Amino acid sequence: MNTNSNSYVMTFAVILCVVVSSVLALLATVLKPTQEAAAEFDRQKNVMMAAGLIERGDPRTREELEKLYADRVEQVVVDTVEGVIVKGDVDALNAAAAEKDEAQANRYRAIETAMTEDGKVDAIILPVSGKGLWSTCYGYLALAGDKNTVKGIQFYKHGETPGLGGEIENANWTAMWKGKKILNDAGELVSVTVKKGAVDPAKPNEKKHFVDGLAGATITSNGVSKFVLRDLKALGTYLQKK
Amino acid sequence: MTSTAAPETKAPLFGEEEKRIVLDPMLDQNPITLQVLGICSALAVTTRLDVSIVMGISVIAVMAMANVAISLLRNLIPSKIRIIVQLVVVSGAVIIVDQVLRAYAFDLAKQLGVFISLIITNCIVMGRLEAFAMANPPWRSLLDGIGNGLGYAWIICVVGAFREIFGSGKLLGFQVIPDAMYEAGYVNNGLMVLAPGAFILLGVIVWVLRWIRGYTEN
Repeated sequence: MNTNSNSYVMTFAVILCVVVSSVLALLATVLKPTQEAAAEFDRQKNVMMAAGLIERGDPRTREELEKLYADRVEQVVVDTVEGVIVKGDVDALNAAAAEKDEAQANRYRAIETAMTEDGKVDAIILPVSGKGLWSTCYGYLALAGDKNTVKGIQFYKHGETPGLGGEIENANWTAMWKGKKILNDAGELVSVTVKKGAVDPAKPNEKKHFVDGLAGATITSNGVSKFVLRDLKALGTYLQKK
Repeated sequence: MTSTAAPETKAPLFGEEEKRIVLDPMLDQNPITLQVLGICSALAVTTRLDVSIVMGISVIAVMAMANVAISLLRNLIPSKIRIIVQLVVVSGAVIIVDQVLRAYAFDLAKQLGVFISLIITNCIVMGRLEAFAMANPPWRSLLDGIGNGLGYAWIICVVGAFREIFGSGKLLGFQVIPDAMYEAGYVNNGLMVLAPGAFILLGVIVWVLRWIRGYTEN
């Protein structure tokens, strides 16, 4: 057989592509549930890390951590207009709201609360996400029970440059967020801003509402400031309600 | 180079020749230290031992799969498009490894990130397909793939272990440098967690191995 004739080359190429893609498609389908479960577990871990329930690299097994999440973390839905917690499924509520008024398609937002062992609200964990430089960054911002003090921030998915914008994952940097306030003295929502350069601890305003910028990642830093503010504002009514 | 076609006689399943195929890439024909291939990932993923181990296993799996597949197809592949066929097979193998890691080792897959996908461009893989699998039967190609994968894996594991011990004072996540040392003023070497640290270590390993084996550049 002439393996270099044009028709042979074409046939070979087509068959090879079909076979390889079928194998990959089959594998992807078979593994999908396991991958989704793994991604969901990773998300849960990040929620708990943001809330300070666990540390990075917690030695406990997956079952124990999943149990901890089930015991201590509760998913709740916030009505952003009224600023109260409502019951129900967030997608169903939004769909119902959108039917009445198109502009209200995002009226309800899902957040999570972490409880102390005796059932008091220990932390409110809000999803934050938005554009960095290359990618959409996904993370969680945890506020203490006073809805004002930051308990922690965690990013669990992003495509920023490793070593530059990718440092939003760095534990040393996220530790700086701890203790910052999102409301100013007048009770207005000002969020926490990532500064360009280092925070000057002599200025009380900076000390309260700013964290150090990431060197070499100005656009990622600005992006984080912007989408954290936007996502906090979306929940503004709820957060400012005492 | 071991590119000569092996005669298909009734050779033992694991005779002298097979042993040579597996063991040669460990030292005398090591892809990293002798052929200086696959350096990019060796520098990038070796900050910790566990990541290095997973990367090593992934490369072994990819090389074994790709070598066998290409060896089985070697008489059917049109020589005009052989490189692109090899690329398709390698990409397929890499995607399989990537998907499996995402399902069963999510954390490590996240840390390895793009470097798993970049195994596709690892010169060791293409080099072995072209130099060995295109001319040898499947069993020997499998051994060659595993051998070269191991040759790559053990080097990056050594680099990973050194970098983790001196860069963060740990090994596989457990602290190995006692607190007393830190109290006495010892500090972790920050250079070790950065790429230049790997570069220096790799240089030293290449030098030591070449010196032991008496290799000289012509």
